[in-house]
Amino acid sequence: MSESQKQDAQKQGAVQTTGHAWDGDLQEFNNPLPNWWVWSFYATVVFALIYWVLYPAWPVASTYTKGVMNTITFTNDAGEQVETHWNTRALLLRDMQEGKHAVRSREYMEQVAAASYDEILADEEMLAFTRSVARGLFGDNCAACHGAGGAGVMGLFPNLVDDSWLWGGSVEEIQLTIAEGRMGFMPAFRETFDDQQLDAVASYVLSLSGHEVDTDLAASGKQIFQGEAGGCYYCHTSEGTGMKSQGAPNLTDNIWTVADVPGAQDHEARLAAVKKVVRDGVVREMPAWQDRLSEEQIRLLTVYVHQLGGGQ
Amino acid sequence: MAHSSVATPQEYNYEIIRKFSIMALVWGLLGMSAGLYAALQLAYPFLNFDIPEITFGRLRPVHTTLVIFGFGGSALFATSYYVLQRTCQTRLYSDTLASITFWGWQAVILLGALSYMLGFTQSKEYAEFEWPLDIAITVVWVCYFWLYVQTLRLRSQPHIYVANWFYLAFILATAILHIFNNIAIPVGLFTLKSYSVYSGVQDAMVQWWYGHNAVGFFLTAAFLGMMYYFVPKQAGRPVYSYRLSIVHFWALSFLYMWVGAHHLHWTALPDWTSTLAATFSIMLLLPSWGGMINGIMTLSGAWHKLRTDPIMLFLIAALSFYGMSTFEGPLMSLKSVNALSHYTDWTIGHVHSGALGWVALISFGSFYHMIPRLYDTRLYSTRLVYVHFFLATIGILLYITAMWVSGIGQGLMLRAFDDFGNLAYTFMETVTFMHVPYVVRAIGGAFFLSGVIIMAYNILMTIRQAKAEQAAMEAKIAAKMARA
Repeated sequence: MSESQKQDAQKQGAVQTTGHAWDGDLQEFNNPLPNWWVWSFYATVVFALIYWVLYPAWPVASTYTKGVMNTITFTNDAGEQVETHWNTRALLLRDMQEGKHAVRSREYMEQVAAASYDEILADEEMLAFTRSVARGLFGDNCAACHGAGGAGVMGLFPNLVDDSWLWGGSVEEIQLTIAEGRMGFMPAFRETFDDQQLDAVASYVLSLSGHEVDTDLAASGKQIFQGEAGGCYYCHTSEGTGMKSQGAPNLTDNIWTVADVPGAQDHEARLAAVKKVVRDGVVREMPAWQDRLSEEQIRLLTVYVHQLGGGQ
Repeated sequence: MAHSSVATPQEYNYEIIRKFSIMALVWGLLGMSAGLYAALQLAYPFLNFDIPEITFGRLRPVHTTLVIFGFGGSALFATSYYVLQRTCQTRLYSDTLASITFWGWQAVILLGALSYMLGFTQSKEYAEFEWPLDIAITVVWVCYFWLYVQTLRLRSQPHIYVANWFYLAFILATAILHIFNNIAIPVGLFTLKSYSVYSGVQDAMVQWWYGHNAVGFFLTAAFLGMMYYFVPKQAGRPVYSYRLSIVHFWALSFLYMWVGAHHLHWTALPDWTSTLAATFSIMLLLPSWGGMINGIMTLSGAWHKLRTDPIMLFLIAALSFYGMSTFEGPLMSLKSVNALSHYTDWTIGHVHSGALGWVALISFGSFYHMIPRLYDTRLYSTRLVYVHFFLATIGILLYITAMWVSGIGQGLMLRAFDDFGNLAYTFMETVTFMHVPYVVRAIGGAFFLSGVIIMAYNILMTIRQAKAEQAAMEAKIAAKMARA
């Protein structure tokens, strides 16, 4: 029956229904299966059959069909060439050994691994490669705290793009910081100082970086800072220039990472910001990465972070 | 040609259908609102306000449970009881059992949603219910099965109408899936915490055997049952092909059970399992389309109805989305496509073209057909049905295109390399990229939800109108009686 005949027949009610009716008028025609539907279904079956022949497919007892004409050759840990049936693990191994991107990245990596920090820093191409790898490492591991650009979060996570290095800005120091982590600690003075003493110390601290303060307050603050009452000079030194072995910041450079002085509107707010830090102290931790990142990755990150802040 | 006398509506149990229909709309509104809020949180994370109960991780299972089991499940109970009674021309076998399924199901949905917000979950997708609720579901489901089979046996029709095969397959398969996926050992009798008996890759395999067949039997077969009654009824035409309905029913039932592992490509799952799942998914394409062909071809010779009947628009649009997402599914099940699509929003878009486009639209169309008949009245407003249709369609299109952009975009970014052979993007950069599609997705969801709000209003007014008509009728009769 042609398509048009079929339609005609249907119109006249001659494409027979199955003869049943439910719920009054609910009936079914008994049209044959559409040809395109049947043949397309067969095509998907053929596709599946071919797939089964070529790839691991059917379980048989305690093993499975491996697929034919479809092998993968890769190098195992012992350095031997191994040929295996197609499987996703071998596929990954081969891709990491022979893939275009993996090979190119590995070649650069070997070159960088053999070079000293000075050689890397002096070579444009090695530096560019380092940026390419470490940008990803930094984004996936460091950016959650330090921000995608490394600007940190005031009070919580140090800014890595400024000129100030709490724990030292040489490549060796940065590498140590990343590999072993750091504990940033300043004791809380809320039990030691009353409010007036806090005002005094904060005024003195602000005066160190050139802020205009009440000179009388600052003078008594200096006594606390430099004397045994506060003992601040132990870590920050008598000059207030800090001590990187303690991670104690330089207080004279007007670079602030804990007290939000730059964000304060007026003198009162600046004073309050510094007082808060002195009162509450600081407890910050940078985790150690040496168990999580490889030595090479840490080296590359070191160079990257060094470049971010214009290292020392 | 009709075989026997038609039972009058008074003989059917319509009360239970009305209850389920209303609850379907209630859960739909709540579940879609939860979904919209979760979508907004993805675009604007501050919206969780640090309140644990409404953070994304807890709100997401509330959303999926309320829409799949609350809205979808209640819609299936309602329509299956309607179709069952009308095509068997008999009343439900037991009103008590029917009531148990209603109150039991509603209690499970409510307690489930609350327990997720309080942090209790099995951590199995679409099966987050902890063990006491799993047992309750099993009891409800056995009642449902028994009620369905006994009513079928009481039918006053010699043959079982095709819609009932699909509903029955759904009930049976759901029972098997639910029971086997949820076998767990409670930590104690008085604690909600339990541990699954499966672990590792077996656990993953069982979970996705369950997960994908929940799609296959709960969200596909059952709603095809709905389609097989309401499309020919609304079109006033016989179903296109009885033969096709048999062939695609058995093909669908047989093939679906194999494909769950396509959710686990490129994992610890053995490669042969992966291959079988991919190939069976490809072979599932045409059997899935069988339902679409049968539905759409039923309208051949009556296409003009699309111009005048917005309910038909819902039903045909639903079938079109069904056809599209059952094409997209096998495509995504191929290992090479899956390597790009998996773990991205492409999956979310796919599931919503099925859930919004197919499941929700076919349910809306069926409700617009069924609810006035349940209350023996007409729809309050046909114009509002049109408004709902266009809001829903725009919403779906915005939603799925946003997810294609977000998913395929992220997939491509994650596999992009730079000139040095290193990955070109960090994970965080892909998240930043997804912000705009996330906003568009939320807008799409808002369109869709506003359509449902309009539907709820339309249905509410229809029911009020029915009550007013009935009161007027009774007054008239009383007046007549008084005169006489």
